[in-house]
Amino acid sequence: MSSWIFLGIVVAIGLWLIAVYNGLVGGRNQAQTAWSQIDVQLKRRHDLIPNLVQVVKDAMGYEQETLTKVIQARNNAVAASGNAAQAGPAEAALSQATHGLFALMENYPQLKANDNVMQLQEELTTTENKIAFARQFYNDSVNTYNTRRQSFPAVLAAASLGFGPMDLFNMPEAERAVPKVALR
Amino acid sequence: MSATTDFVAAQNQHRRNTMVLLAVLTLLAGGIGYLVGALLEGESSGSLPAVSQLGIAAAGLMAAVSIGWSAISLAVGDRMVLSMAGAKAIEKQDAPQLYNVVEEISIAAGVPMPRVMVLETDALNAFATGNKVGNGTIAVTRGLLDSLNRDELQGVVAHEMAHLRNLDTRYMVVVGVTVGLIALVCDMALRTMNLGRMRSNDRKGSSGGGILIIVLLVVAILAPLAAKAVQMAVSRQREYLADATSVQFTRNPNGLISALGKLAEKAAPFPGVSRATQHLFIVNPLHQFTSKTPALLATHPDIADRIARLRNLGG
Repeated sequence: MSSWIFLGIVVAIGLWLIAVYNGLVGGRNQAQTAWSQIDVQLKRRHDLIPNLVQVVKDAMGYEQETLTKVIQARNNAVAASGNAAQAGPAEAALSQATHGLFALMENYPQLKANDNVMQLQEELTTTENKIAFARQFYNDSVNTYNTRRQSFPAVLAAASLGFGPMDLFNMPEAERAVPKVALR
Repeated sequence: MSATTDFVAAQNQHRRNTMVLLAVLTLLAGGIGYLVGALLEGESSGSLPAVSQLGIAAAGLMAAVSIGWSAISLAVGDRMVLSMAGAKAIEKQDAPQLYNVVEEISIAAGVPMPRVMVLETDALNAFATGNKVGNGTIAVTRGLLDSLNRDELQGVVAHEMAHLRNLDTRYMVVVGVTVGLIALVCDMALRTMNLGRMRSNDRKGSSGGGILIIVLLVVAILAPLAAKAVQMAVSRQREYLADATSVQFTRNPNGLISALGKLAEKAAPFPGVSRATQHLFIVNPLHQFTSKTPALLATHPDIADRIARLRNLGG
């Protein structure tokens, strides 16, 4: 009789471990998929920016400084990619530089009439949004995963099953600040 | 991060409300099945049994038919709705901005990219349909594409993506089938009762059946109305939920708020819209619901009320 109870307890613990394990695997996979989505979009942005600069270069000859800054920020971001700690600030600086460029482009009506420019601008806008949304989804997934592995009773098993904490992907707040355009 | 907990709490509340409503509908359908069965058995034997075999069988039959009917509707309903409305699938080069916005929001929602379709009409509207995550369609009208800016379009697409992620189409099909079934059974019960009364008049009537017949009559007349009211309440809850989820995706209530303002003015009826599909759209294309219209049978909540709730989320 008591051996049946013992067996029942063992089976219950086994089922519980399976549930905890599967839950953690699911959460971690979701976060990793989200991370790869961020990566794809960051690369796409790195590819788009030189094209845009190339197209607007002639019309915006007097804004050489801004254009150089954008290209510089883009190259820094490419160099930092792969290293989460450095990529965040570098990508944030790149966002700021491109927003500065977008703001300056408002002063050039001939650019607004250029289909090629408009198309590139739309592509860059959507890529920026995709980066933001992918980051949001990644961070939400990481939060859910971290909460799950820290919750009792999963916390008892998570570390020994090899589920460490995951890091959030942070881009400094400056990215969202409205770029300042000097008006005279 | 108080904004985060706000919309999560709002969503949980909506989910709870809709679960309660679905439970009420199911109980109503099962109860009617039992009542009809029990009364029929009571009428034929002359006295009401304590536990009616026929009643239990009828309740079971209601459940079985509603599952089968739902399965068929889910399998074919999707395509039917799209062809009825005359929606055409587009590729990225046909409407790059729309396509990009749908891609963005599908990333935000963490669901696979749905099909994108356009309805060629000047009226402003949008709808989503799909019976499982990963097999969805989002359709917007040409008028909507032409008159909304990027942020507004994003809010509308996020609302539709919310319907897809929350599996609202599937849910509303199941609710619709239950409601249709209740109406059908009540109708049948009324007819059977007429026959039964004629028969019992022939063999000089049983006095015990009189009250039962009145009860059945009242239930058969009121139940379809009650079921319809519950269905519309579910539909309105789902709209509120999709609005809240839209803000979760975009983190920007202002786009949807100003889009709803424009939709309120120009959501005219257009060919291909019928009473069968009106509940699918972001705002009802056939009726404008204001706080003055009777709210009980409205498919959508009052737009002013939706906007007020969105402002509560920080808009």
